[in-house]
Amino acid sequence: MRTGAPATASAGDDHGPGRSATRRRPGRTAAGPHDGGARRPGLLGRLLGAGPRPPAGESTTAHDLSVRRRLLLALSALLTLTLFLSYEGVHADAGPLRASSAPAVVAIDTALYALGEAQADATGATPSTSEFQKQVAVAAQSLAVAAGGDVGGPAGRQALQTVAGLVTGYTAMVQRAQLQPAGSVLRKAYLSYATSMLKSGDSGIRARLTLLQREARADVARRTSFGRLLWLGWSTSALLVLALGAALLETQLFLRRRFRRRYNRGLIAAAALLTAGFATLALFTVWTHRGMADTRALLDAVAPGQPATDAGLRATSYLADTGFRAAAAVWILIGGILLMALTETGLRQHVDDYRFRPR
Amino acid sequence: MSAPAAGPRPAAPAARRRTLRTVTVLASCLALVAAAVVLGVRALGQEPTVTLLANWTGRDARYFREAVIEPFERRYRVHVDYQGSSAESQVLSAEVEAGTPPDVVVLTGPGELAAYAGQKRLRPLEQLIPRGDFSRSWATPLYGHVYWFPLKADLKSIVWYPAGTGEQQRRKAARQPDQWCLGMGSGATSGWPGTDWIEDILLQQQGPETYERWARGRLSWRSGEVKRAWTTWRKTVGAGGRRDLVLRALTTEYQKASELVTADPPRCTLEHQASFVRNQKPWRKADGRYEPSAPFIPGAKARNTWEVSGDLVALLHDTPQAGKLIRHLASAGAQRAWSEKESGFSVDARVGPPAAGSAADWHRSLAGTLIDHDAVHCFDASDAMPPPVRDAFAQAAIDYLADASPRHLDELLRNLDALSSPGDLTWLPSVCDSGS
Repeated sequence: MRTGAPATASAGDDHGPGRSATRRRPGRTAAGPHDGGARRPGLLGRLLGAGPRPPAGESTTAHDLSVRRRLLLALSALLTLTLFLSYEGVHADAGPLRASSAPAVVAIDTALYALGEAQADATGATPSTSEFQKQVAVAAQSLAVAAGGDVGGPAGRQALQTVAGLVTGYTAMVQRAQLQPAGSVLRKAYLSYATSMLKSGDSGIRARLTLLQREARADVARRTSFGRLLWLGWSTSALLVLALGAALLETQLFLRRRFRRRYNRGLIAAAALLTAGFATLALFTVWTHRGMADTRALLDAVAPGQPATDAGLRATSYLADTGFRAAAAVWILIGGILLMALTETGLRQHVDDYRFRPR
Repeated sequence: MSAPAAGPRPAAPAARRRTLRTVTVLASCLALVAAAVVLGVRALGQEPTVTLLANWTGRDARYFREAVIEPFERRYRVHVDYQGSSAESQVLSAEVEAGTPPDVVVLTGPGELAAYAGQKRLRPLEQLIPRGDFSRSWATPLYGHVYWFPLKADLKSIVWYPAGTGEQQRRKAARQPDQWCLGMGSGATSGWPGTDWIEDILLQQQGPETYERWARGRLSWRSGEVKRAWTTWRKTVGAGGRRDLVLRALTTEYQKASELVTADPPRCTLEHQASFVRNQKPWRKADGRYEPSAPFIPGAKARNTWEVSGDLVALLHDTPQAGKLIRHLASAGAQRAWSEKESGFSVDARVGPPAAGSAADWHRSLAGTLIDHDAVHCFDASDAMPPPVRDAFAQAAIDYLADASPRHLDELLRNLDALSSPGDLTWLPSVCDSGS
């Protein structure tokens, strides 16, 4: 396949430049509704700033090429931007969900459960000091994990620090109670203070953790939801992929019709990149979103105050590889640039054939 | 005029440069737009925030939000992240040690604030609060700077009783331990209602000079004056006496102690508690009245002498938003908001007591006493003491209520003396104003 050489004259085709005295200027076509002397560009041409159409009797190929080139570049740029934002909209939340939000929900659940067990150990008929200390240690460790999750931003961090301070006070009160003789008024008094710190109204440890847990779950729900904006973004991306695919195909047919060659390698490579790239990104997104939805369902199924023993591990397995897939976002921009470069390369040689220099 | 050339130009280096330029420009625009959109969306979710730690929870926290915080947030468009906790001291010390203190803190204890000032954790406030709005006893200078000012004040040397209880009935009830409503529970700070009692007894029996020496660590806990205050409290509330009574006092939350007043039949008549308790439901229901505590305390000789407490504002992290919040809290509007909510009192010179008819008589009377220049006001001694001594005092009050034997008291007071002796503790230079 040759490149750059216009096809010889035939009905509706262009003639190669410099062929004979009777040759027409390349790109000239029989007068028709599009170039029958009209000098104003069509709607698409005006939108794309392709300049005025040539006068009647002149070749329209240069103008048509310019329109197609600009259309393909504009669609590529628009698609890249839309796809990047849509992809980021899903995948940017996967990392924080895996690293902070989901572990925070599990950690707060664990802390609530451990504190419930600690209270039962402290107030039971046969109080166990070692078991109480173990459960408090589990709670403290879980609170540290939750703090690492940064649930609720600075406010959440502050609330967790407050809870950690209350847990320290609670532990001290229980330990004071355990130093008193069984059945003594002081033992009952210190246990009542400890219980108050754990359970009182909206200022006790449990109430604060429950509130934080609600916020953590809301954070998970927000990160895992596929909202209207995302639907709009992905629908627009899909439409742009179809439009760009159709434009590439039409341009390929246009080149075949006007020039003496069957295929344009640049455009074919662009079409292949578009198809493979979009399919890969869509697949990545489906996998990631499915993992996120499974994680949310898993966390919703854990009842507050119940042991969430394997929930953390399962959530981690659901969200495995999401980091790799999220990192692919930068390849959308690179792919978009490549797409535009291939389109430009494919059409540039033809456009240059019809570039006229001022005298 | 342009004219077609003889034929198409061969691809020239200029054309390649144009291609490269076009793609580069488009790619750069694309990357910039994408980055701008992503950053813009993330930035929109943030707003300036100031963190505030205080000890108010429940209704007090709600009042504080409605009357003080929300107007600030609306005016300055700064979000206040409020945390309220009875374990404020533990929370604050943990946050300070972790290097993530709140921007602003409201503490009841000037002793604790003095300790933080000594560690250079507090920021001076002279540039942020109007000079002369608070007397030196409320905004005590330390190390040449003012580090705190009161947002809310309360009177503590008072005894509440239901309306319609005559003087004879009150005096008779005062001699019966089971007629005193007492609740020692307060989460991490349990025991402070007992320390308030002992402090007030010492103040009324021995006067402000002895009280101040003790509150500044210059009078032994085992001195006769202090020991007498403990034993007076024992006799008044029945410490170490009937098990059911002791258990009731020990396990009742201080907010619920007054519920016994409205029980049917009433199970107690008198409550030695600060002015804020009048806003609790039982005392509102009983139309609570107050009387100075001195007539109820055997051997009281002080006149017009009052134990007071305050919620003091201090700055730990000097950000522009925190500075705005400090100015707002020190403003007459924010100070007045407390009085209007009847949840506390302001000692700001610009605010003054409520006008006649604008507040209940008891409220105006208490507000007037707090800013009475002829009265002697002494800050809550335990709040003025260094935190380790304060906490041990509260625990000793709990322990003494359960076991009030002389031997146990000696042991408790010896421990308190031992805790008060280290030289690295920060004691306030003064806790009482002189009156005029």
